[in-house]
Amino acid sequence: MKLRLLKEFIIEKLIFLSGIASILFVILIFTFLLKEGISFFKEIGLKDFIGGKYWYPISEPERFGILPLILGSLLVTLGAIIIAVPLSIACAFYISEVVQGKAKDILKSGIEMLAAIPSVVLGFIGIVTLVPWMKKVLNLPTGLTALSGSIMLGLMAMPTIISISEDAINAVPKAYKEGALALGATRWQAMYRVVIYAALPGIIAASMLGIGRVIGETMAVMMLSGNAAVIPSTLLEPVRTLTATIAAEMGEAVHGGLHYYSLFAIGIILFVITFMINVIADIFLHRNKK
Amino acid sequence: MSKIITNNLSLWYGGFQALKKINLAFQEKRITSIIGPSGCGKSTLLRVFNRMNDLIDGVRIEGEVLIDSADILDGDFSDLVKLRKKVGMVFQRPNPFPLSVYENIIFGLKVHHLVEKSEREQIVRESLESVMLWNDLKDKLHRNALGLSLEQKQRLCIARAIAVEPDILLMDEPCSALDPQATLKIEGLMQRLKNDYTIVIVTHNMQQAARASDDAGFMLLGELIEFDRTVEMFTAPKDKRTEDYITGRYG
Repeated sequence: MKLRLLKEFIIEKLIFLSGIASILFVILIFTFLLKEGISFFKEIGLKDFIGGKYWYPISEPERFGILPLILGSLLVTLGAIIIAVPLSIACAFYISEVVQGKAKDILKSGIEMLAAIPSVVLGFIGIVTLVPWMKKVLNLPTGLTALSGSIMLGLMAMPTIISISEDAINAVPKAYKEGALALGATRWQAMYRVVIYAALPGIIAASMLGIGRVIGETMAVMMLSGNAAVIPSTLLEPVRTLTATIAAEMGEAVHGGLHYYSLFAIGIILFVITFMINVIADIFLHRNKK
Repeated sequence: MSKIITNNLSLWYGGFQALKKINLAFQEKRITSIIGPSGCGKSTLLRVFNRMNDLIDGVRIEGEVLIDSADILDGDFSDLVKLRKKVGMVFQRPNPFPLSVYENIIFGLKVHHLVEKSEREQIVRESLESVMLWNDLKDKLHRNALGLSLEQKQRLCIARAIAVEPDILLMDEPCSALDPQATLKIEGLMQRLKNDYTIVIVTHNMQQAARASDDAGFMLLGELIEFDRTVEMFTAPKDKRTEDYITGRYG
């Protein structure tokens, strides 16, 4: 009897530990980031860091303004959203409302496959297909542009958005659709006048999670968007994102130097952005469940 | 005059026959109830009249269903939209859309492009008045309909159905989700509505059928056992099975 109680106790504690482990990891990562980044903010103020227009970390005197990087990230992300969200919502509706039987299963597993492709492979494919094509068709000096990054990132965000949106659409009570049809609505009218409103919180949450993925993505965007740390004015120029900066420069930065710490500071900014997006997504997902 | 007539109506879900050669005539501007135990096919029958069964895979229908002398079973899609404008439906569980009260009521108007925008307010008001909701909701027209009480929701669904001015109202156990008080109110509403509409109500509540309907049909295992004036059926049923059911021996 006593042994059983002990067993219960151990199992309970083990489950508890694994439960809080994820939270613990987040806290540890954030403290580590803060610890490394904070000394940078002591040297260079937050305002100069975020508002500065020039990112010359190794020139003399060095400049640590990440505004071009933030704008680069935002531009690429915005482009990716514009591409991915409408396509994904349409795709989710197609899967849950239109297509049936075997084709549905094929489509669903196809989308899961898309999520499984490593981003470096997507970036590589982009470099050999998308980039030259862009250059030729749009007649640009280089195909490595924000738009190329947006297209690939949009592609990468789609599986997340599609599968969560589809869940949300599936969770819409059948009664809404029946009610609309019984009033003489066509299937299409029932969808865009009723079902989409019921599924909206879930669709928004899905989009936010997709955006979170896009902002945090590094490899493909580094390979495709040209990496020029200048403030972009159109989608057809090379840009550099926050993530690409960290990935590209971490290896070269002198350990313990200001440049090194500045990359951690970028990490903090990135963390804050994705954290906020996840929180917003969570709020909408939660609202959906109610 | 007969509003709905069925001739040898049979319906199969795959291999299962849910309706067996039903012959019926529903009279205009009266309330007809269809009673019977669960699974007897009464809801299926109701859903034939606005062809909601079309949504289910593997449904096969034989026979004739005449509404105003036109067979609704042979008809293309645009006829289906017209049919559902003419034949409104109220469901078992109130299912207002997750939109405002106002948007719920004008949904059918929008779908059928019925009236100019300027006339919509008038119709919203009339529809809500005819279900006696106007006084309660006139200041809440733009609130989400999901926040209403269950009874208000069901009234709203009725208002939504009659906003497009159908001829026939199908009610599929419209009170089974409501408490007795609300049930009585909805029944009172039905009595008012029958001046303008032909109402067919499916119910498993025999008292409700006896109280609220003019004619009644009793179904069992997909067959129509008896069809008569409600008073006749409940006082002097002709069939032994009807008698057994309404006296509570099974069902």
